[in-house]
Amino acid sequence: MDFSFQDAVSKIFHSTGLVAIAPGQGVMIAISLVLLYLAIWKKFEPLLLLPIGFGCLLANLPLSMMANTNEGGLFNFFYFGVKHEILPPLIFLGVGALTDFGPLLANPSTLMLGAAAQIGVYTTLIGAVALGFNLQEASAIGIIGGADGPTSIFLAAKLAPHLLGPIAVAAYSYMSLVPLIQPPIMRFLTTKKERAVKMEQLKPISQTVKILFPIFSTLIVVLMLPGVAPLMGMFMLGNLFRECGVTARLHETSQTHLINIVTIMLALAVGSSMTSETFLTLETIKIIILGLLAFIMATAGGVLFGKLMYVFSKGKINPLIGSAGVSAVPMAARVSQKVGQETDKSNFLLMHAMGPNVAGVIGSAVAAGVFLSLFGPGDVGSGHAAVETLQTVTQSLRQ
Amino acid sequence: MSLIMASIKVSFLAMGVIFIVLGILIGVVKVLVHFLPYKAPPVRPPRAKAPAASSQDEDHIAAIHAALAHHLGQAPQNIHLVDITAQ
Repeated sequence: MDFSFQDAVSKIFHSTGLVAIAPGQGVMIAISLVLLYLAIWKKFEPLLLLPIGFGCLLANLPLSMMANTNEGGLFNFFYFGVKHEILPPLIFLGVGALTDFGPLLANPSTLMLGAAAQIGVYTTLIGAVALGFNLQEASAIGIIGGADGPTSIFLAAKLAPHLLGPIAVAAYSYMSLVPLIQPPIMRFLTTKKERAVKMEQLKPISQTVKILFPIFSTLIVVLMLPGVAPLMGMFMLGNLFRECGVTARLHETSQTHLINIVTIMLALAVGSSMTSETFLTLETIKIIILGLLAFIMATAGGVLFGKLMYVFSKGKINPLIGSAGVSAVPMAARVSQKVGQETDKSNFLLMHAMGPNVAGVIGSAVAAGVFLSLFGPGDVGSGHAAVETLQTVTQSLRQ
Repeated sequence: MSLIMASIKVSFLAMGVIFIVLGILIGVVKVLVHFLPYKAPPVRPPRAKAPAASSQDEDHIAAIHAALAHHLGQAPQNIHLVDITAQ
């Protein structure tokens, strides 16, 4: 066998990624480096943006077989967990284990603030349709307004898997920008008198109620919106681990190791979906713009409903807690506290804002459930009267 | 245009469903809180003081005191017995 040193060098060079790299991949590598910069040096949601950025980097290195679509590649297996609704519900299990429903149970009317903030989801839905997306895609984009990463990923994977990357990046990027996006809107929509309202101390809640709440919530929400069972079921199971007092080990695992492991896999899977073919499109720019609209409208919706509750409660409810209805736990509640203290340093709104904050998690999951009932795969909730009614209404709307 | 109208109708319908679901949850929470109110945990009574030592106990304490002082090689006033009850 003849051995030519020159041929061997040439062969090795041609087997590297250097000759195979395309301009689009170069751009995506640059984007992944920006995400890593934002995560590490600017501390924008680093627990998520860092693995998303690194997943994106690996997916765009030519011949690496790390894109989510490369069958047999590592991230293809991780992506299986997104595609088949395994990872987002497991994240919700951990979130449930971390959530204290006490403030919500002490003031249940704040659940309405979690519902009102979903207005951001629906204004964005309309905006997305106006920009040329179909109803399934528009629904997946609209849920960015729920400010809930796992819910956004869950819905995008079901309704518009080709938009998963941009939707996840927009959702997590804007969630990290909540302290910048919300305060100007909150100040603009409220008077100084409203911002200065001091709310009554929350009454304590019995442990039995805390145990029964996740069970009853699961029964009600899943019976009405079966499509959201994986998210709501896991969320409430995690909370039951926390409150029941007999599963300390499961609670501990759910809120620490499990959620951390699943976060790594989920974020890498999302990052690996950000290839140049799916990300470098006009749709991505539209989604980034619509995501901002979603957050602005969700904040405004929550605050305006808070003003309504301020009027009906005769000045007992501070409208600032309405902005926490966007979910983004607990950052949005902290923003309510911070803006409240700008007016009166002795005003402590944090615990009051935690009620609408966790209500926002339930609200966005319910919003996702409605979208799944209307536009989801045929097997979701089939045979259920309410869903069939909704489907009939939708069909008539489409005609 | 018809798609935009459809999305507006879907939005109203979906917001209605969300308010209904969360409204039902509010009702359930109110019922639960009404029928299962918070009860402050009972205050634990302070531990009962040890009964006063009988004359027989005093004899035992004196004997133990003396034996300990002798064993440790210390003056009896440097040793303070706290409890001689069985564990």
